[in-house]
Amino acid sequence: MTNPPADRAPELPARRNFLIQAVTFVLSSLLALAPLVAGLAFFADPLLRRRSTMRGATADGYLPVAKVGDLPDDGTPVRFSLQADKVDAWNLFRSQTVGTVYLRKIAGQVLAFNDVCPHLGCKIDYKPAEGAFFCPCHASRFNLDGERQNDIPPRDMDRLEWREEDGVVWVKYVNYQRGKAEKVPV
Amino acid sequence: MIKPLSDWLDSRTGYRQLVHEALYEPIPGGARWRYVWGSTLTFIFAVQLITGVFLWSAYSPSTLTAWESVYFIQYEMAFGWLVRGIHHYAAQAMVVLLGLHFLQVVIDGAYRAPREVNFWLGLILLKIVLGLALTGYLLPWDQKGYYATQVATNIAGVTPLIGPYLQQLAQGGTTYGHLTLTRFFALHAGILPGLLIAFLALHLYVFRRHGITVPAQAQGQPIAPFWPDQVLKDAIACLAVFGTILYFTWTRGAELAGPADPSEAFSSPRPEWYFLFLFRFLKFEWVDRLGLEFGAIYVPGAVFVIIALMPIVGRWKLGHRFNVAFTIGLLAGAGYLTGLAIIEDRHDADLQAAMREAHRDGQRAVQLAREFGIPAQGILSLLKEDPFTQGPRLFARKCASCHRYQGHDGTGRPVLKTELVEHRKVTREEPATAADLGQFGTREWVRKVLVDYHEVFAPLGNARAKQADGTEVAVGERFLNGDMANWSKENRAVLTDPANAESLKALVEFLVQQSGRSDEGPIDAALAAQGLDIFQNGQLAAGSLTSACTDCHTLRLAGQEAEISSNPGAGVPTLTGYGGREWLLRFLEDPGHDDFYGSNNQMPAFAESMTPHERRLLVDWMTGHYFRPEQPAAH
Repeated sequence: MTNPPADRAPELPARRNFLIQAVTFVLSSLLALAPLVAGLAFFADPLLRRRSTMRGATADGYLPVAKVGDLPDDGTPVRFSLQADKVDAWNLFRSQTVGTVYLRKIAGQVLAFNDVCPHLGCKIDYKPAEGAFFCPCHASRFNLDGERQNDIPPRDMDRLEWREEDGVVWVKYVNYQRGKAEKVPV
Repeated sequence: MIKPLSDWLDSRTGYRQLVHEALYEPIPGGARWRYVWGSTLTFIFAVQLITGVFLWSAYSPSTLTAWESVYFIQYEMAFGWLVRGIHHYAAQAMVVLLGLHFLQVVIDGAYRAPREVNFWLGLILLKIVLGLALTGYLLPWDQKGYYATQVATNIAGVTPLIGPYLQQLAQGGTTYGHLTLTRFFALHAGILPGLLIAFLALHLYVFRRHGITVPAQAQGQPIAPFWPDQVLKDAIACLAVFGTILYFTWTRGAELAGPADPSEAFSSPRPEWYFLFLFRFLKFEWVDRLGLEFGAIYVPGAVFVIIALMPIVGRWKLGHRFNVAFTIGLLAGAGYLTGLAIIEDRHDADLQAAMREAHRDGQRAVQLAREFGIPAQGILSLLKEDPFTQGPRLFARKCASCHRYQGHDGTGRPVLKTELVEHRKVTREEPATAADLGQFGTREWVRKVLVDYHEVFAPLGNARAKQADGTEVAVGERFLNGDMANWSKENRAVLTDPANAESLKALVEFLVQQSGRSDEGPIDAALAAQGLDIFQNGQLAAGSLTSACTDCHTLRLAGQEAEISSNPGAGVPTLTGYGGREWLLRFLEDPGHDDFYGSNNQMPAFAESMTPHERRLLVDWMTGHYFRPEQPAAH
């Protein structure tokens, strides 16, 4: 091989040079991406693994709320808290309030509402003077059957399934996505 | 389309020149494998930055959440084992590559003018990387990292003048706690990586300014650019390093030992393997006699000064040879000490037992965390209430001075005693003076007590009791030549007669049934019913026993009011619930009760010297009454 000028690369056949460049480029890119891909897959854990947020509910998701006798007969809504073991990542906190609901008793039947506003997730207040539910954040308003009274919330208050066993009301506690017209569980 | 865009970008940023400078660095003589070490180090550092930031997104630095969040990363989160494994092994790869890079630089004389400053920058980078390794080892807050890092901060504490202040600054107080973790985490994830980036930028800048150090035979050879040949060699080297890291991640994984427990001594803590040489150096008695400052600060300090002076010493030909010899000697010495430490540790039964215990605690903590969830008080509160974890430790403390458990003290350690023999200290295994309880209450135990009573209780022959006048007297005879021993000897032949195999099995089954233990597998009820007959009338399939069990022992069947036999005299153990939790708890409280050994008893009562909680943990462990996972934990 003759000595090329000192400031220039030695001449290689063009094809070999291209092949080396391509292999080097691919290999370097893969190496750079490998830890990033592993890290991103790890970061995506909340999407890849669903974990329950509580323990202690029945197999079909019901929690005891209150005695039927504790509900006023005139249909006034009462707010109750739900007790269960709360799961937070690695922790399990025993007997915590995992949520709150409104119960109403009308002619032996029970209406159960999740008290979270379907608009943007604030806690809805019951206003006895107005006989209505009212959200303090953005003024969503619902009647006592949970039907929306203005256009601020995208849907009615979220009804929850319930059942009665030995005089105790059990509720299937579910949270639904906020800001949507349809009820979609979180 | 692309051309105008890139022209626009280049006119605004000048990126082409940057790329050109990065890729077309001139390399006289062309690409060489010996130039790859710096690139592999930069690559591994990038890997650490990336994986570290992602681990940061799930790590929680406090004494109640550090181990817990690392457990969650390692065992519960998607690909957590992968990211943590890469980070763990890449840290070790970085130390190895630093050593190789350093060796390369010294052998090639790359520290000589005009590259002295860059050599010193490299030494600063070395210190930062070692600092990252040290701080990172504590973060999982497991027994190994906790006790190994204690040693490191205590060494910092003996630094002349500023030691105690330095130690308290590092620890965030006089003892380890939340603030130790928050500070180590700030150092590990913020301050040290920031410094590393800054000094790495300087290092690379100065490196590019002077160019690569070319060996003599490449001088005057044609110049080749960095891209693509050297980049390819670098990439292949990085691939090999990364492949090695993945191999260890896949086959071994990053360990998480038992959670740090300040109340639980962890015998013989060890630093990570790359600090073992320093650890071993400090263990020399002559080093120790010269003081901790000497071994841990002055000697490493002097070595570091000699290294830092290499560029100056290396101006002379002889000086360069000295530098090379010193470096190789240093690495050989470190290698020798590391090997020595590893070999010694392998033969150190206590250390091995402590390591096994830390590993076992780690596995157990994961099982408990998965099954029960970790309470707000942290994982330790689960381990403290776990018979499987605490039972062996209680056995070692309270029982192993007389009893053994499968030959050891319950935790896997031999029971040793050091004596002066002819003015020399001799450590030997101490003979047991009471039965080995490793199989207590199992079918095997019951069978042996029936046919080999003398053998099971043979250690009692070593038992001595001090009398009032100070003389010692053997006390095992009353058991080894007692009624049960004699019964066992008389009936051994008939019980082990093959024709009576089924009868013996039945009698054993019946007795094991009394314990109500769940860990001995399901009880064959029909077999046990046959056993009850033998227990009462002594009639075997072929022949009969010299006396039936009921002739001496009291027994009331579970769930029944009336006893099927009643103890004619005190001091014969009742077999009601024999080998079960309640039986063993009562026995432990007062073995000299008439329901047990009465006046024959030689065992201390533990009603006072153990709390009820301790007794329950011990008994639950011995009777197999603790949580068992369906499958052992795996990563």
